[in-house]
Amino acid sequence: MLSRKLSVFCVVTACLVVLGLGLTPPAASATPDPTEQLRPFLKKVTDTLADPGLKTIPKKDQAERLVGVVRERFDFREMSKRVLGQQWRKLDAPQQARFEDLFTDLLQYAYVGKIEEYSGQTVEFVQQRIKANRAEVQTLLVDKDKSIPVSYIMLLHGQDWMAYDIVVEGVSLVRNYMEQFSEILRKDGYPGLLKQIEEKVRQFEQETKRT
Amino acid sequence: MLTPRVQLFVLRLLLCLSLTWAGPAAAVDYLDDAAYEETAAEANVPDPIEPFNRAMFAFNDTLYVWVLDPVATGYSKVLPADIRGCIGNFFSNLAEPVRSVNCLLQGRFRDSGLALSRFAINSVCGVFGLADPASKEFKIAPVRASLGETLGVWGLGDGFYLVVPFMGPSTLRDFTGDVVDSIARSSYAPWNDDFTTSATVYGSNSINRVSLHLGEYEEMKKLSFDPYVAFRNGYFQLREKKRDHLE
Repeated sequence: MLSRKLSVFCVVTACLVVLGLGLTPPAASATPDPTEQLRPFLKKVTDTLADPGLKTIPKKDQAERLVGVVRERFDFREMSKRVLGQQWRKLDAPQQARFEDLFTDLLQYAYVGKIEEYSGQTVEFVQQRIKANRAEVQTLLVDKDKSIPVSYIMLLHGQDWMAYDIVVEGVSLVRNYMEQFSEILRKDGYPGLLKQIEEKVRQFEQETKRT
Repeated sequence: MLTPRVQLFVLRLLLCLSLTWAGPAAAVDYLDDAAYEETAAEANVPDPIEPFNRAMFAFNDTLYVWVLDPVATGYSKVLPADIRGCIGNFFSNLAEPVRSVNCLLQGRFRDSGLALSRFAINSVCGVFGLADPASKEFKIAPVRASLGETLGVWGLGDGFYLVVPFMGPSTLRDFTGDVVDSIARSSYAPWNDDFTTSATVYGSNSINRVSLHLGEYEEMKKLSFDPYVAFRNGYFQLREKKRDHLE
């Protein structure tokens, strides 16, 4: 009688152990925390901006150094893909790569101005939201007399959260460019768009040379 | 005053609204791919008078670059930022009763009470609304509401996109709402309601606002391919965000 009870007990325990093992996910696949990944990254960006050595090198090098740092947590390919919308799928691989390079150049020149503007603003983390492999990390850029809400929209690549959109004061950078690009695409087609971005990049290039 | 029948009607109306108000204010979820599709909400408001709007945009741009920006820059050098912040608070506090009524009309009863509490606290403890102890000490965040939004909640469409001279991006419905809101505000404002005084007050408020955001307009213009489209899109994105009270 006792041995029978014991054997039932053993079977039940064994089942529980097997089930339990099956249910606990292996430690490696646990989702990393987006805020914890973004925090050291933004620290690195502000450190780079605050570095007095940065302002002594030529403008073009400044921009390249900043983009080098930003690339760590920004997925420019995903950004390019979203900013083009349906047009992206119509391009072949080399065309996509070309657009990605051009769009990265554009953002690089656009944000080189931030180096001069930077005057010790700090970043505060507000909250985060995760939905499957997407995350939104809400932060506040705190300045002397105001603070600006900035959200980072991120996608999980393996173990890394990579940002593909910034929402500044409620305006998404990608959605804003997307609407401008879609109007140009409608009027002048993809070659026209490419030409306009090249033109804008050239314009920025000349401006940075002049100063 | 009101006959019971009218009271019943208003009550029913409010009840219907409170049941349906969440509809038009649906939040944009950036974690959802739909937020990045080409049929974005901002594209749904038509722009049939684009040539007129572009002309008005150019007019406002000239006004900004040659008048508002230089004046506001000088002004910002004369007055320190905290005093300019106080002036902004003062104008914002004056609009609190109008906000409260709009919240009520939208069925946001809690927000309506909060706006009124903010008005009472800031007018008394904040020296006529110059300071904002309601946010800082009482932790009551500012409430946003306008008649344009109320009309939207009631099911009235935007009409079309409209760039208003001196004021900037709006829609036919929202601009109509803003005009009515400002008439309502001036009915209890502490100054005369003749045109010169109102225009001066509006102008000083604008200069004060610009002085707190110097450089942002140029920055956005520099980064865009078609500033007209960029600002139209920015306006609708910002409006969507401001009217998302579900957070």
